[in-house]
Amino acid sequence: MKTPPSSPSATDDWSAEVDELRRRRAWAERLGGDDAIAKHHAERRLTIRERIASLVDEGSFQEVGKLTGSGHYDKEGRVTGVTPAPYVMGLARIDGRSVALGGEDFTVRGGTSWSGDRKKGGQGGFVEDLACQYRIPLVNLIDGAGGSVTSITRRGHAVFPGVHGFERSVELMGSVPVVSAVLGTAAGGPAGRAILSHFTVMVRGNAHVFAAGPPVVERSLGQKITKEDLGGAHLAVDTAGTIDNAVADERECFATIRRFLSYMPQNVWELPPKIASDDAADRCEEALLRIVPRSRRKPYDMRRLVELVVDRGSVFEIQPSFGRAVITALARLSGHVVGVVANNPLVYGGAIDVKAARKQTHFIDLCDTFHIPIVFFVDVPGFMVGRDAEVAATLREGMRGVYAALQASVPMYTVVIRKCYGMAGMGTTDKNGLDFKVAWPSAEWGSLPIEGGVAAAFRREIAQHADPKRREAEIEAELRAFASPFLTAEAFGVEDIVDPRETRPYLCRFVDAAQAKLRTSLGPKFKCGVRP
Amino acid sequence: MATCEVKADVTGSVWKIVTAIGQKVDAGDTIMIVESMKMEIPVIAEEGGTIREFRIAEGDSVAEGQTVAILET
Repeated sequence: MKTPPSSPSATDDWSAEVDELRRRRAWAERLGGDDAIAKHHAERRLTIRERIASLVDEGSFQEVGKLTGSGHYDKEGRVTGVTPAPYVMGLARIDGRSVALGGEDFTVRGGTSWSGDRKKGGQGGFVEDLACQYRIPLVNLIDGAGGSVTSITRRGHAVFPGVHGFERSVELMGSVPVVSAVLGTAAGGPAGRAILSHFTVMVRGNAHVFAAGPPVVERSLGQKITKEDLGGAHLAVDTAGTIDNAVADERECFATIRRFLSYMPQNVWELPPKIASDDAADRCEEALLRIVPRSRRKPYDMRRLVELVVDRGSVFEIQPSFGRAVITALARLSGHVVGVVANNPLVYGGAIDVKAARKQTHFIDLCDTFHIPIVFFVDVPGFMVGRDAEVAATLREGMRGVYAALQASVPMYTVVIRKCYGMAGMGTTDKNGLDFKVAWPSAEWGSLPIEGGVAAAFRREIAQHADPKRREAEIEAELRAFASPFLTAEAFGVEDIVDPRETRPYLCRFVDAAQAKLRTSLGPKFKCGVRP
Repeated sequence: MATCEVKADVTGSVWKIVTAIGQKVDAGDTIMIVESMKMEIPVIAEEGGTIREFRIAEGDSVAEGQTVAILET
């Protein structure tokens, strides 16, 4: 019997090459070497490989581009080692679902840009193409300062800005969830890349983000400033809102990323995952009957109120320390993902300032993009007033929030807890949808609050009265008699008044019914017009 | 003994100081009330301690983040 031509012979053996492949993979595992890794660990930072292993499902990381780097060869041309490219990326699973992920390797040249034939990560890298083409979420683990001026000597010319542009990063913002974690110092391109995300998180005290770091700032402006003061979490998260959430350490960072993704669909062509909820839809909390004080001047704990209504343990707050006059959170009702926008009476009575407006706009866009219905828990006296507020362009930023709500097409539910006034109040309604508004008995509304309005509208009558203060109080009392929410409900100006304890069953019923609309409205959303 | 600065969360005016120098407070207790946007906003002790000093008086204006009292912890 003849031997078929394809059968192996003694010389058809690729073991030597496979052995080289094994050695090359082992070199990649060594990153920038033991000394660089020890130094990195001493800064309380994990290596990129440790980060990936901590974040994803055990054993699920399939690396791509592990052989990239600069090879070292002996006189005979045999490879003696490879300094890996300072970026590690590939495919993995988080809670069983595929994600594309990658991050700079700080132990190799501080994670600066690397120029092979094709970029691995960052804007325009393979990892972005993978997320885009496969329609799976992208996670960026950022620890690098971007380009280095030394590249000019390597290339022999200066590169035009955008040679590796953000066009793919922008495309991803409308198609798949993008999460960026800042785990070291991010400046330039990597810092910009972080911002083009649906959710960003950084480590408090051990991560920094800025357009340019202290040396550039000192050279440009003569300002001497530390990294922490320029781009630590206190500035970037709490003050500027450049990054959404701050966490204590990298472990919490990875748990936060997993938590955020648990509320997200894989892409805009799918619905967010519904989970089985063991929290009964008809649970009625007695505490809700007494949570709002009868005195209109006394605030209450809106976070607790929200927690009593939504599925137990389901609240995940986004930007908790920024724009605190409004609370934005992902949560669940009967296992369905919902977005919560709740005014916080403890901060300026819930008045929308420029930061709260910016936060609300971003959150509404996030929910609308990923087909997440929005529940507004309303207690808003209006936009923030005063000179500082006008200097900050609160009116413009506030109206941008109103504009975003009017462009959104996900179902929205307006639950008026107490105050609902003016343009900020209007911005909490589903004017392009069902315009479904329910109120608690403590609710009140109008184009502006009675107190301030009376002084302006009845100025002459009050001034001419023998006792102006008394007359003002009388007029306020006369007008307040018309302010009962029951009178508006009689006129069907609000669709219902609910017993506060029934808020949860009521919302669960309608969010469940809205799934048919959500299922039949999938896909990317194209919005036109010029936002104010 | 360590001290801790108590800061106002919001801009407004001090409406009522509801504690006294030397008084012991627990974390979460209201130290004073600031009136802001027609609301009574409590200034809360973030940790327990004894009130050593007030940096403001009733009726004073306060700015967001301003230190209003010092606690001995």
